Amino acid sequence: MLEVVVASGKGGVGKTLISAELTLRLKELGVSVVGVDADADAPNLHLVLGGAEWVVKREYREGRVARVDALKCVRCGACIDACRYKAIFIDSATGEYRVNELLCEGCATCSLICPVGAIARVEALSGKVRAGVTRVGNVRIAGAKLVPGRPNSGKLVTEVKSLAKELWGSEAEVFVIDAAAGIGCQVIASLAGASAAILVAEPTPASFEDLVRVHRVVKHFGLPAALILNKSGVGGGLEDRIVKYAKKENIDFIGEIPYDDSVPKALARLTPVTKAYPDSAASVAIQRVTKLIIEKVIKNWSSWYSEHVPRRPEPYVPEIILPK
Amino acid sequence: MLTVAVSGGKGGTGKSTVAVNLAVALALLKHEVVLADLDVEGCVDHLLLGARLNVVKPIKVSIPFINYGKCVACGACANVCDTGALISVGGGKPFLIPRLCSGCEACFHSCKFNAIRKGWRVIGEVSIGKVRLNNVALTLVSGRLREGEEHVAPAVIATREEAGRLARERKADFLIIDTAAGAGVAVSHALVNVDLILAVTEPTPLGAHDLDSILELARRLGVRVGVIINKWGLGPEDFVLNVVRRYGVPIVARVPYSDEVIESYVRGRPLVLSGGDGVGGELITLAKSITSLLR
Repeated sequence: MLEVVVASGKGGVGKTLISAELTLRLKELGVSVVGVDADADAPNLHLVLGGAEWVVKREYREGRVARVDALKCVRCGACIDACRYKAIFIDSATGEYRVNELLCEGCATCSLICPVGAIARVEALSGKVRAGVTRVGNVRIAGAKLVPGRPNSGKLVTEVKSLAKELWGSEAEVFVIDAAAGIGCQVIASLAGASAAILVAEPTPASFEDLVRVHRVVKHFGLPAALILNKSGVGGGLEDRIVKYAKKENIDFIGEIPYDDSVPKALARLTPVTKAYPDSAASVAIQRVTKLIIEKVIKNWSSWYSEHVPRRPEPYVPEIILPK
Repeated sequence: MLTVAVSGGKGGTGKSTVAVNLAVALALLKHEVVLADLDVEGCVDHLLLGARLNVVKPIKVSIPFINYGKCVACGACANVCDTGALISVGGGKPFLIPRLCSGCEACFHSCKFNAIRKGWRVIGEVSIGKVRLNNVALTLVSGRLREGEEHVAPAVIATREEAGRLARERKADFLIIDTAAGAGVAVSHALVNVDLILAVTEPTPLGAHDLDSILELARRLGVRVGVIINKWGLGPEDFVLNVVRRYGVPIVARVPYSDEVIESYVRGRPLVLSGGDGVGGELITLAKSITSLLR
């Protein structure tokens, strides 16, 4: 099975659009495909596909949170000093020590340092993972939803990938993984164990900067990459520089999708743009680039892989400072 | 000093555009402003301002070094390690996978044999840029996570601390915070204890869906919110209005969809500098009324 991760670094450049359309196109061609929404903070893939019937829903409770027992607490301040996440605060009304659950990572530090044993770690709901089928296209989809503000979004992404594998891994041919914005834990969890990255950029300085950053992470994992330039002609004028970067980095430049207001209009109707406005310039381009991805990358996997896999591995080497 | 955070949930709704223009508009109104870019995974405010950044300090998290002479292989440290960074195989002495370590320091506190010493891992950098445009000046503090690092919270915390320190030192009137997309812990660290959250959204179902998460987060943090509908005119605003009504929060600005936004940031010149009716004018009006939103 192939796991292709759609990533961009910057948000709002079209990851979810490309993921949804690629998933639809694969399904139409009779490929056994699953769409995986790996953005637990802002899960939107199902919305672009008209919403979903969630058949399986599971709470994810691996996360922990600290709790201070006000009766035992002697208000010594040791936990406040020890917490690296500034998650413990003094309630201004009562003077009690309390834990802000939106900042607490659930590590054991405060409970270990407390001299009177007043802090316990308790189980906390981090979010849920879910799986089902989309209303448009009847495509299998799995997703995660984080409780707003909680940590553990990376673990949730790993969990949703496992759920998709548990349900459909034995017969699915392709997982299309719609990654979160950024380069942090959710994106790293999406790329771990993946086959290839499909990078999406728009011709703006911010998108270019973030594309280079997310591509560095893709290279840490030794993955080959393809690139789609979305919203071309929007005015940033960076099209040529981005394509040149792709060439230099051996990223397979698939093509451009022009900026076109049929995309937001289709979104407002909760319908994929290629269904709502099949003749719009964006739809025609989306049809073309998704077909190219399928023909060049997915159907021709082994030769595409050997052509575009990074020639030298570039694993991440953390900078360590030794104890004094 | 007032601290105003710009967030919104969905990526690409215009958080950075609003944060940068608001900061410049406030500086135009003769306020001392510090702008903190806490989107450590995609910090781009300096590009929008055409500013050069200078690294001022590395962002470090502590990592354990085991003194194997003192270690008795009791397993306590590996046991309290939540991220699986300290591993003890078959009851042997533990070893560390540095990349996985979050720097929580639980292992130091768990060791009864004084066998762990503290070293550091550099996960990113805090940079400062002095921004001068026309005759306005402001200070930009920008945090950057290294590619390959996944522990975002410590980078957000360190950058916010540095920005807060500078803002106090300069007796700033405003600290403007730009946050990452999403509504996870990286965003909660940027939003906690601010005076006002400006939630920037767009008139699409996706914008509305993610706005819901930010408004929920703001409610749980107990912070006042104003919603900005950016790219106004891109689509019907009903989806956003439904969410806004449910939380009973005000819409403080509607910023029209405009091509000039992209042109302005390719040139590194925020739109408020040229004023006018469009995006720049809307955001100047917002800057003028910002203190009244807190009453």
